[in-house]
Amino acid sequence: MKFKVFLSVLFSTLILFSNMSLSASPNTLVFSAIPDQDETRLKQRFGDIAKYLEKQLGVPVKYVPVKSYAAVVTAFRNNQIQLAWFGGLSGVQARLKVPGSQAIAQGVEDPKFHTYIIANHSTGLKASDEFPKGVAGKTFTFGSKGSTSGRLMPQYYIEKNMGDKVDNVFKRVGFSGNHSKTIALVQSGAYEVGAVNFKVWEKEVEEGKVDTSKVSLIWKTPAYPDYQWTIRGDVDKEFGEGFSNKVKAALIGLKDPDLLGRFPRSGFIEAKNSDFDPILETAKSIGIID
Amino acid sequence: MIQLQSESASYHGVKTLHDIDLLVSKGEKLALVGQSGSGKSTLIKLIYEHYPVNTALVPQDYGLVNNLSVYHNVYIGRLEQHTTFYNLVNLIRPKSEQVEIVRAILVGLQLEDYLFRPVGRLSGGQKQRVAVARSLFQQGHLLLADEPVSSVDEQQSRVVLKQMLNGFSTIVLALHDIQLALAFCDRIIGLENGRIVLDSPADELTEKDLLSLY
Amino acid sequence: MISVYKHSPAWNVSWLFVFLAGFSLFFADIEVISLEPWEELKRLFMGLLAPDWSNLSEIGEAFLQTLAFAILGVAGGSVIGFLLAQIFHWRWIQVSCAFIRAIHELFWALIFLQIFGLHPLTGLLAIGLPYAATFAKVYAEILEEGDRSALQAVSLDASRISTFFYARLPDLWEHFKTYTSYRLECGLRSSAILGFVGLPTLGYTLSSAFMEGHYSVVWALLLLFYLLIATIRYWVRPALLPVYIIAAPFIVANDSTISFDNVQRFFTEDIIPAPIMRGESLSESWQWLSDLLIHQALPGIANTVVLTQIALVASGILTLVFFPLISTHFFKPAGRTIGHVLLVILRTTPEYILAYILLQLWGPSMLPAIVALALHNGAIIGHLIGRYSLEIKLRADASRGLNRYFYELLPRLYGQFLAFLFYRWEIIMRESAILGILGIATLGFYIDSSIQELHFDKAMILIFITALLNVLVDALSRYLRAKLRLKTNVDCRATNDYCTARE
Repeated sequence: MKFKVFLSVLFSTLILFSNMSLSASPNTLVFSAIPDQDETRLKQRFGDIAKYLEKQLGVPVKYVPVKSYAAVVTAFRNNQIQLAWFGGLSGVQARLKVPGSQAIAQGVEDPKFHTYIIANHSTGLKASDEFPKGVAGKTFTFGSKGSTSGRLMPQYYIEKNMGDKVDNVFKRVGFSGNHSKTIALVQSGAYEVGAVNFKVWEKEVEEGKVDTSKVSLIWKTPAYPDYQWTIRGDVDKEFGEGFSNKVKAALIGLKDPDLLGRFPRSGFIEAKNSDFDPILETAKSIGIID
Repeated sequence: MIQLQSESASYHGVKTLHDIDLLVSKGEKLALVGQSGSGKSTLIKLIYEHYPVNTALVPQDYGLVNNLSVYHNVYIGRLEQHTTFYNLVNLIRPKSEQVEIVRAILVGLQLEDYLFRPVGRLSGGQKQRVAVARSLFQQGHLLLADEPVSSVDEQQSRVVLKQMLNGFSTIVLALHDIQLALAFCDRIIGLENGRIVLDSPADELTEKDLLSLY
Repeated sequence: MISVYKHSPAWNVSWLFVFLAGFSLFFADIEVISLEPWEELKRLFMGLLAPDWSNLSEIGEAFLQTLAFAILGVAGGSVIGFLLAQIFHWRWIQVSCAFIRAIHELFWALIFLQIFGLHPLTGLLAIGLPYAATFAKVYAEILEEGDRSALQAVSLDASRISTFFYARLPDLWEHFKTYTSYRLECGLRSSAILGFVGLPTLGYTLSSAFMEGHYSVVWALLLLFYLLIATIRYWVRPALLPVYIIAAPFIVANDSTISFDNVQRFFTEDIIPAPIMRGESLSESWQWLSDLLIHQALPGIANTVVLTQIALVASGILTLVFFPLISTHFFKPAGRTIGHVLLVILRTTPEYILAYILLQLWGPSMLPAIVALALHNGAIIGHLIGRYSLEIKLRADASRGLNRYFYELLPRLYGQFLAFLFYRWEIIMRESAILGILGIATLGFYIDSSIQELHFDKAMILIFITALLNVLVDALSRYLRAKLRLKTNVDCRATNDYCTARE
């Protein structure tokens, strides 16, 4: 008896698996974004963007939350998402993996993006224009391993200024996972020094989420290009001629301050692939991209 | 020494001992005889339950620890007489003063060759003698032994029983071997179906008297 | 004749392991990094006082996904494992299964994420594949050791298949059932953990909530998870299983598509070592490989081994502390109840989640990993040894307390204890590697870094090395168990214990 149950289960499983077709309705634009801050609110942050795009583009638009930077790149490459809000590095990686894909828009602030080096007050480090060499021997946390402002650029500038690998400069190097967590960890003293996306820092300070008596900004990297919207080259074929231009126009035309605050940016402007060449060069020099 | 008055005992819900009246004085060597199932083991247990202090026990199933050496199994008889720390050290590095005492006991039981051998690697008869050795090492006012020579040969049985008689003044033995009971004990208790059916000095009995119990 | 006391081989081997672990401690990074670890711990437990159920739809969704992935993964794994068990005597099947088993579900998930992206197949295969390999082995062992007498009574011309179904299976059904339902519990844990790398299961919600310090949500999730596992025997019923299996695909289904191009690209481009793809010379390729080996594989292996050895001995020590808690030889019923609750919580919480929690509190050194592995494994083996201790009947005059522990119980249970510990050795090593994803510099750290940098070629080589290391430890463990004559028998009740210890 039990045995029959077992067999029936076996066969129904096989049948179900073979029938399990999971293809999306072909004309849904799926997009995602790197999980750079407050992961519990990703859906909230980007759900409304999907609605906005849907209205502008006239096709169904869906946001899927993704756990890591690399997973966004992979999904983009696998055509499971066609549009993504990438960081500088992940965008460069994605466009290398998907020939024909285009950076179409970036935040007003993105051409001149910065990383802030922040320190716990117990270190006694103060804000300066010069690179604070006193960070040597402290514990240090990056954000995500695949982050531009949280990892690539700070690592580049630290190694350039200290003349040594980060592993040798600091007593301990960690990866917090995202920018909000970096701030929290440096504030709690779990790490003495950290590198954080300047927009996230400013937003969280403004919202009163940061205890500035415990953690403060000590140095700001030179400007570099960072976040951008990148779209796959084959969307025109899939959604109709001129679709990527339509998406570009929709993004640049996004003026709702509430929606822009989700990024957080004051607006979007045009972008092109070559804007991010400096990132590519930096990634190559650090060895993240061969 | 031992005083039981109309005691009964149950085993797995079945009454195995009925109305036991037993008085044992100091210095008596007592043998319990009777068929298996007549209640000998239960009576031994019963006595132990009433008089656990200063009593050495040789249960039928020995209760030895196979992974410990003969020495340690014997030493267990005196765990309560030492501090836990002393016992622990002795477990890791046998104390020479204790080893000597144990060795002397083992010599008497023809076991000295196996002093540090794990009990798990001994034969049944050897294990039985280890259980006896523990009781001899433990000492006390009273020895309760349940078939302590059932697995050893005739000659060794006599050696073992002699050691036990030397070691303890008061003894209660469960024995199915009538000859040995008559030879080594001075009082015989016969059990049948959980009742005492015979209680007599050994020198007033012959083997034939006891055979009726079987 | 012999008058020098000699310790048993088991004793000597134990000390060898203790010394190895002590030696490893010199190389281990076991600092508490957080400045206020207790403050954070206090906040965590304040969350327990007021679990936050407000986001019930999200929590419910996470649980449905966790359940569905577990059920499908285990169902698929058991069917394939069952078929493989029939041909398990083929050497290459054994070797492949050992290899597949040696790779942790999370690593499989990271691999399949590259191939199938967010498609549910990623989660199904990540659980199903290693589970199939494990099922194949254990089912084969059950078939091997099961009673063959019924077989001999069947006439010779009955076909092989009907012989099997009529003569063998009915006898062994109980064994299969026990083991398979036990694996479902493991599957739930695995499924929950897959969320940490992006599947929509419990781990996803849990890690997000943790990231933001929403401890009341964390507790809501954990409590529900304990409840789910504790009630497993009530909701896993043979009659209900088909319902679950039919419902599950609809729960895990999403809009993602899989394209054959991606699969092909993964095998023909992504995992081909970069110097070969670029057509570089042999010396350049060697340079690339030796860089990888020296800067990533070697430190990764060293840290993985260091963590494993320390965690193994720490698990052993905790086992010895834990098992009396549930043993009738030491505690009265009230005390034992507390012991049971403690052990159930510790062994239900996946070590990955335990490590994650401690890591959040103390910072990413090896310390949280050691503590998490020791607590989880100590609780599992402690539970088993505690149960074995119930079968020991002590003499009426047996000593009490510590004397009883050291002279009566421990010597009797030690062989069993070592056998279980050696079974867990390979599992502890697999977990040690995987905990690297959380930031401890074991192999998992380097594998995760390679994947985050989209260097799948490097990641595959590192995963391969991790698997080899596991196979090696498994072989070593088998050698030691044979050498010390440590056996765990596979009778029906023991099957469960054996499985619990194995996986």
